[in-house]
Amino acid sequence: MKTPEILLVDDNPADIDLTSEVLAQCKQRFHVNAVNDGAEAISFLRHQGKYTEAPSPDLVVLDLNLPRRDGRQVLSDIKADPALAKIPVVIFTTSQANSDISRSYELGANCYLRKPGNLTEFVAVVQSMAQFWLGFARLPQREKR
Amino acid sequence: MDERFITTTPVIDETATARRSEQGVSKLRALLVEDEAADVELALRALRHGGFEATADVAQTAEEFTSLVRKNSYDVILADSKLPNWNGMESVEVLRREGLDIPVILVSGALGEQTAVECIKQGAADYVLKDQMTRLPESVRRAMREKRLRADHKQAQEELARSNRDLEQFAYVASHDLQEPLRMVATYTQLLAERYQGKLDDSADKYIHYAVDGALRMQKLVQDLLSFSRVGRQGMALSSTDCNVVVQAALQNLEAAILESGAAVKPDQLPVVMADGSQLAQVFQNLIGNAIKFHGSGAPVIKVTAEAKAREWIFSVEDNGIGIAAEQVEDIFVIFRRLHTREEYSGNGIGLSICKKIIEHHGGRIWVESEPGQGSTFKFTIPVKATPSGGERQNDENT
Repeated sequence: MKTPEILLVDDNPADIDLTSEVLAQCKQRFHVNAVNDGAEAISFLRHQGKYTEAPSPDLVVLDLNLPRRDGRQVLSDIKADPALAKIPVVIFTTSQANSDISRSYELGANCYLRKPGNLTEFVAVVQSMAQFWLGFARLPQREKR
Repeated sequence: MDERFITTTPVIDETATARRSEQGVSKLRALLVEDEAADVELALRALRHGGFEATADVAQTAEEFTSLVRKNSYDVILADSKLPNWNGMESVEVLRREGLDIPVILVSGALGEQTAVECIKQGAADYVLKDQMTRLPESVRRAMREKRLRADHKQAQEELARSNRDLEQFAYVASHDLQEPLRMVATYTQLLAERYQGKLDDSADKYIHYAVDGALRMQKLVQDLLSFSRVGRQGMALSSTDCNVVVQAALQNLEAAILESGAAVKPDQLPVVMADGSQLAQVFQNLIGNAIKFHGSGAPVIKVTAEAKAREWIFSVEDNGIGIAAEQVEDIFVIFRRLHTREEYSGNGIGLSICKKIIEHHGGRIWVESEPGQGSTFKFTIPVKATPSGGERQNDENT
């Protein structure tokens, strides 16, 4: 089985580092890719520009408040594109506003997680997310490239 | 309007504030609700005699009255209580509808005691009998003084409300926006502690520990501040709330503390009140939680009771704990105020301040009756008729 590809979309390098660190400590191996804004995320997913060689991710972990192209727009772009719609998207954000949670699910988010404020919980959330989506969950076969 | 009754040409676009001239004469613009020319003259003469430079317009019907008060600004309305076409008291109603605060003084031939009292109740500033017109100037002065006081009071209240809103907004924004950078500090100092524990020297371990501890404590403070400011912002969902259910919910949340302390919590039969159920549950949870936390040498025994009064319910949460000194009973409701060190008792001193805010938003009061070593009884009231002071609940609240 191929190593699962994860795409982290977050403008906070500290969060990307921390999430990558935690993922690196999981039993399961992952390839972690990261981009810092919404427009980059879309280019990555569509293999455009400098991302022609980029892998197709098995899971997108998406922050909501992003520069250039907002996380909500990225989410709705992904779910509106038949080539991308099947990729599970986990919203991973500090917002716990009801409006953000409902809007995300309306737009087709597969899961909404709040970034916890302390390390222990952060580790627990990221590890369970990876274990659930890339361990237990059965996902459609990755697009051949 | 009958031109004969305009006894003095009104000053064009005169503002309604009476100005005292050098001779001690006040300018006064009055609107008379009157149908007798002689009575108009009588009133004006009395006013001039009493030191007013008075000008007056006259209205005989409700329509005339309404259009005049819309067009001009008057210092005072002098209304005859009985006109053929309408009742002078209706002018009070018109002013209220138009949102105008102009004192109305009833000027009347013979006004029974009963009627007079009734008119004052309905909003007239005063009444003066036609055969005692010398009283009129003093009555006008007093009415205008009262109006000024009302205006000052209203302005002060509005300013207070605005500054309260600003403060709440500030607390909310500050605590909300502080969370994100704080999360970085907390998680990364924790990561440092985890990774480099024992790999640097002892001082480094200690310093990292201080940083982690400080960040976590600040996080808790910021979260507490946020919950505190949320009580005012989110408004309330008032509905018939069974306090028995509410207390059971609170007890469920306190289950671990109750088991650990061996507390016996005995709630009486409690009433159904108009309240925001989840906020009321928080009040009970904080009060019962405190009663458990500040226990004495024996296991905590906690009674929850309610007493019906004419306009409100008085709820009591009574414990046999350590009690509070008389000079501290006010202090404990202040946000972040703690009476003990963190080593003695945990917590940030937020619980009671939240209780106070919730109860006051419900139109009630909260206080404590206690003696050191003799236990404490926290009491709060909930009005029988709901008088909420919060807005609609917003579901989209950022939290």
